[in-house]
Amino acid sequence: MMTAIPRNPVVRAFWRVGIRPRLRMRELLLLCAVALTLGVGWVSLASTRAAGLSVGRPLPLLLYLVTLGLVHVVFVISGRRMDQILLPVVGLLGGLSLLLMARLPQSIVSRTVGPVELGLLELQLVWLMVGLGVLGVVAVLLRRDGWLRDYKYTWAMAGIALLVLVFVLGDEVNGARLSITLGPLTGQPSELLKVVLVVFLAAYLADNRSLLAGHSTRLGPLRLPPLPYLLPLLVMWGLAILVVVVQRDLGAAFLFFSVFLGLLYVATRRVGYVVIGLVLFLGAAAVLYQSFGHVRLRVDVWLDPTADPLGSGYQVLRALYAFGRGGVMGTGLGAGLPQVGESQAIPLLHSDFAFAALGEELGLAGAVAMCALYLVIAGRGLRIAARAADEFGALLAAGLTLVIVLQAALIIGGNLKLVPLTGITLPFVSYGGSSLLANGLVIGLLLAFSDTSGTRPSSAPARLLRRGRPVPDEVPGDPADSATGDGASATPREPAAEPGPAAVGAQPQVWS
Amino acid sequence: MDVLTLLLWGLRIAFLLLIYLVLLLVVRALWRDLRAAVRDESRALGRLVVVASPSGQPEPGMSIPLDAVTTLGREINSTIVIDDDHVIDDHALLTFRGRLWVLEDRAGGAVTRINGQPIAGAAVLGYGDEIGLGGVRLRLERAPVETRAR
Repeated sequence: MMTAIPRNPVVRAFWRVGIRPRLRMRELLLLCAVALTLGVGWVSLASTRAAGLSVGRPLPLLLYLVTLGLVHVVFVISGRRMDQILLPVVGLLGGLSLLLMARLPQSIVSRTVGPVELGLLELQLVWLMVGLGVLGVVAVLLRRDGWLRDYKYTWAMAGIALLVLVFVLGDEVNGARLSITLGPLTGQPSELLKVVLVVFLAAYLADNRSLLAGHSTRLGPLRLPPLPYLLPLLVMWGLAILVVVVQRDLGAAFLFFSVFLGLLYVATRRVGYVVIGLVLFLGAAAVLYQSFGHVRLRVDVWLDPTADPLGSGYQVLRALYAFGRGGVMGTGLGAGLPQVGESQAIPLLHSDFAFAALGEELGLAGAVAMCALYLVIAGRGLRIAARAADEFGALLAAGLTLVIVLQAALIIGGNLKLVPLTGITLPFVSYGGSSLLANGLVIGLLLAFSDTSGTRPSSAPARLLRRGRPVPDEVPGDPADSATGDGASATPREPAAEPGPAAVGAQPQVWS
Repeated sequence: MDVLTLLLWGLRIAFLLLIYLVLLLVVRALWRDLRAAVRDESRALGRLVVVASPSGQPEPGMSIPLDAVTTLGREINSTIVIDDDHVIDDHALLTFRGRLWVLEDRAGGAVTRINGQPIAGAAVLGYGDEIGLGGVRLRLERAPVETRAR
């Protein structure tokens, strides 16, 4: 099922030109189910609006589904053994986003590009397609991870440069300085920064793991890590505070710090780090609460939004009402109340409160399903981490998974008034180009790392053949390798891509 | 009008049910993976991939599945026989201790290295690290996963 059968003439023709497609039946099945679901959702939305059976203007949805299908086809042609569940799950979340954007008033965001004016739906569609494109390109082309690891300080510098850029050039919106404007484009660098940060941390921790985990300083009953190696922890903590104070971005600061703690724990399995980190976090939280108005406001609104129901607590209260109106089964797509008269019922409904909007129209059932989708991403991501060929891959996959899942948990919790509201996006659902791009990049990296037969630098024959070329041309010249391929298709129990005798004389590899 | 309400209600419920159908399919796929992983439990703890071997023993590119205890040396009874001028009969011992891989040098004289750094006594190493014994270089890796049922 998994491997192409060489007897098939079509597949044979592919083989002759050096392309070895690998069918992905599971992904195809799931994508079909996703397409059917989104189609019914679209009809439901259009019918509610037209008060009669209607498909509305199905072009945006069709374009989106075609993009998903194209990514699937590219994956099949690339022949990599990648995870088959992530793409459909992400596709469903993106489709829900598309339905939400089609449902909201189009004038929330509009941009004129040349003669055409693009509304909310069109812009989100473009960004979703670009995000999926990035996902596909990264997943297919990223074969070796050495350079990601070797240039770790370059990534760190790039991250710091991004931060400084925001500090200097950032536009201030609602007291938070999150986005920068470059010509016609507005972007949130913190979205990209989170990816860069994870790559750097994974490389740094993979190199220093044994130092961090090996020795310890005893302080009473607590076994602390060696004191000099606490420095990165403190630097990271300082960075997070800086982001809160200068950039006023609570969500990003919390996300960065918790991802760092999570990765530190994954790398060392030392609870001591987490304890120290939490103590530092609580201390910083107490001080920041006392001394900075924007931090105090967020926490006070979280504790009691009814204190100022028409002012600072308005958003949060409205979101709670929306969940209440939704009930268990929801009001149905297009039947909610995102707009009262001319004003939006919840400010920032399309980005920060996307979960509340979907929670109203899809009800508890839909909200739980969305949470389950993020859990599936978590499960698959950690599975990829557990199966990674080396420490760097494992840490990177774990970190990327943490970023997506923590971000989703933070904003879902904020919408539900479980945690203080922070202005971060719901991955794949909220409106926003930077967010979709960065999260597409994250899933692309996860997919690339899920193919342990390709990124594993050890599979020497494949590595030799793949060098410099995305698709290996291994049929004519290398009988040993194609024999391995046949063996894998005939007897699936045999682990495929075992470096065979063809590897003799593999080029020397330098691993730092 | 009644028909319309019914229709809209039906579409609404159908959409929710379909979302759950996708989830069900995903869960079924996850369950199959889990069962495959359980069957796969007997796989090796890790493996050593021969990165460089000037003498050809061990063969370069070869991958050797590892048990909890692996002896490396020139002696013929070693788990991995290494033919190199700087390697002695009972040269090094690689053990898996619960979660950590430990390489113990028994030769002395700075010919046993991890990632190019000479070690004295025993040292901890992780997947992706490279063991150097004289001119022979071996990389420790996680055992390959069963690529079926992905």
